[in-house]
Amino acid sequence: MTHPRRAAVLGGNRTPFARQFGAYAEAANQDMLTAAIEGLVARHGLAGERLGEVVAGAVIKHSRDFNLTREAVLGSSLSPTTPAYDITQACGTGLEAAILVANKIALGQIESGIAGGADSASDAPVVVTESLRRKLLRLNRAKTSAERVKAALAFRPTDVGVSVPANTEPRTGLSMGDHMALTAAQWGITREAQDELALASHVNLAAAYERGFFDDLITPYLGLTVDQNLRPGSTLDKLGSLRPVFGKGEGATMTAGNSTPLTDGASAVLLGSQEWADAHGLTPLAWFVDGETAAVDYVGGDEGLLMAPSYAVPRLLARQGLRLQDFDFYEIHEAFAATVLSTLAAWEDDDFCRDRLGLDAPLGAIDRSRLNVAGSSLAAGHPFAATGGRIVATLAKLLHEKGSGSRGLISICAAGGQGVVAILEAA
Amino acid sequence: MPSTAPLLVRAALTSRGRRGDSVPDRTLVVEDVRIDRAKLAAYQRLTGYAVDDTVPQPYPWVLAFPVQTALMARPDFPMALPGMVHLENRVTTHRAMDAGDPLTLSVSAGQVRPHRRGRTLDVRLEARVGSELVWECDSVYLSRGRGTHDAPRGDAPRGDGPPRPPVGQPAARWRLPEDLGRSYASVSGDVNPIHLHPLTAKAMGFPRHIAHGMWTCARTLAALGRTSLGPSTSHVWFTKPVFLPSTVELVVDREPARTVAALRSAKTPETTHLVLTLET
Repeated sequence: MTHPRRAAVLGGNRTPFARQFGAYAEAANQDMLTAAIEGLVARHGLAGERLGEVVAGAVIKHSRDFNLTREAVLGSSLSPTTPAYDITQACGTGLEAAILVANKIALGQIESGIAGGADSASDAPVVVTESLRRKLLRLNRAKTSAERVKAALAFRPTDVGVSVPANTEPRTGLSMGDHMALTAAQWGITREAQDELALASHVNLAAAYERGFFDDLITPYLGLTVDQNLRPGSTLDKLGSLRPVFGKGEGATMTAGNSTPLTDGASAVLLGSQEWADAHGLTPLAWFVDGETAAVDYVGGDEGLLMAPSYAVPRLLARQGLRLQDFDFYEIHEAFAATVLSTLAAWEDDDFCRDRLGLDAPLGAIDRSRLNVAGSSLAAGHPFAATGGRIVATLAKLLHEKGSGSRGLISICAAGGQGVVAILEAA
Repeated sequence: MPSTAPLLVRAALTSRGRRGDSVPDRTLVVEDVRIDRAKLAAYQRLTGYAVDDTVPQPYPWVLAFPVQTALMARPDFPMALPGMVHLENRVTTHRAMDAGDPLTLSVSAGQVRPHRRGRTLDVRLEARVGSELVWECDSVYLSRGRGTHDAPRGDAPRGDGPPRPPVGQPAARWRLPEDLGRSYASVSGDVNPIHLHPLTAKAMGFPRHIAHGMWTCARTLAALGRTSLGPSTSHVWFTKPVFLPSTVELVVDREPARTVAALRSAKTPETTHLVLTLET
């Protein structure tokens, strides 16, 4: 075993993200993931290449897609001898995939790999009701005619129906938005602050498109060339006119404008060792320095569902000997504008940092002009498993532009009270 | 773009008594053909391609089908369209086609030749983006009838016959369902009765309905990977009809710049339905 070495982010590619039932209504996760990988392969001249491995996943997944990533590899121009596996960690899937690939590269187990993810909110699996499913299985395993008749007689009209997967926490019955509304109220996050953050996301994403930032990060797909959710002409007035959709009564602040919409899309990131990059004529954009995950006990109401990154980041900072202010860019996933604002508020709060994080002093404020500078999920949309790849590729390119020594922090909250965070450094 | 259904009805109603040994020297051209992405996605799903922007190599044939039908439904066309059988198809893609590119499609009929089971007809299709020829296709169809006994034997009325089909272990085994012809008809518009139902096929002199040749060709190309999406030439010989439902096996022999593939019956492996070469 050699000492750990550095893994480089060499490039990224994604589809533009489409609104649910929009341009990708007919596309399956496998189609989109294949398209994202194929675009990455084409851009980096990897046709016929055997990579160390490809790791990706989808949060909303059909049971037939048990080998989603391997199937996407087989549908791509990569060598069919490239291994692949699927992972799922809710919205943290894409970033967790990147951590796994980077770790194997760092340990010298592989030289190169792709991390990615895809999610379709349009092509969702439709499942029969639980009672019907059990009765169908019983009918299927009946051996004698008598057993079959008995099983068939058990069917009731009320069994008929379909269950469509919902964005609901199984243990609390609350939607993610409902959970976030509780946290936003707890931290006193105002409607105005949320709308300002949402507007900045649209303005920044539009400006990044305008300057050609995404030219080598996005490949058009099914006729879409720009994220379908992007509203370049959005204003605070327009955002302010929207009715709240999460939370209750006077204090409700979360609208369709400051919450991410359901989205379809896929992303993929190419990682490799320095040697592999050199051998393939590729320039490292950034080093994948470190990653950390955390989880919180949201079930008992001890902590907000989407607050785990606020625990993961200080642990990562401590391990790396860094302060929260030591970053040139912050990529905090905008599940909701309130998620970002609650996380930042927690890091500035004396009590939270002392009682919850066990720190002597609060982490403090960040320079907000360094936050999500090329837009984030509120503007781009958030196909769950594809968000990590979008952010890693975006940040790696931002750091490469900024130059040597620059550093970036990624923070992504995930269902189940989890959080995945990582640090990249310009190469 | 002409509408296929009324043309097929007209071709069927006027199918009796069509005769003559030559086709009118005529090229039908349709400009600014836009691809309907929902239809393309349905085609890609049914034939095993990923839903993607790159147009599958056989797809312009589907786009040109109404034009081809219009040509054959004309009163001076010497053969009856219903019941015609696809024998051979050769396609060259000069560059990958994007589904967003508006195409100019042209269709012209070539020579009529004697065949031991009737007469064959050559049809040429071309697709252009602007003035650039991006795709061309030569098809050979058989109009079944009183054949010519001394016509050249074999299933290749023109040029070389198919290479020997690969032998050995199957690379894949596909179960082709009874309704495959109807499914493909709905995405391709090719509602030739020989593909739809046992009864409509019997009326055309077939024991049962058969799979569309262009479906078996597309499914085979899709299984061979992304090669045919880029510049490449595929040549397919439809040697024996695939009765529906049935199970077929794909056998593949890969060489660096040329792949030979065949579909054979799973039940009687000596029955070869299709032989295909793909060259880059």
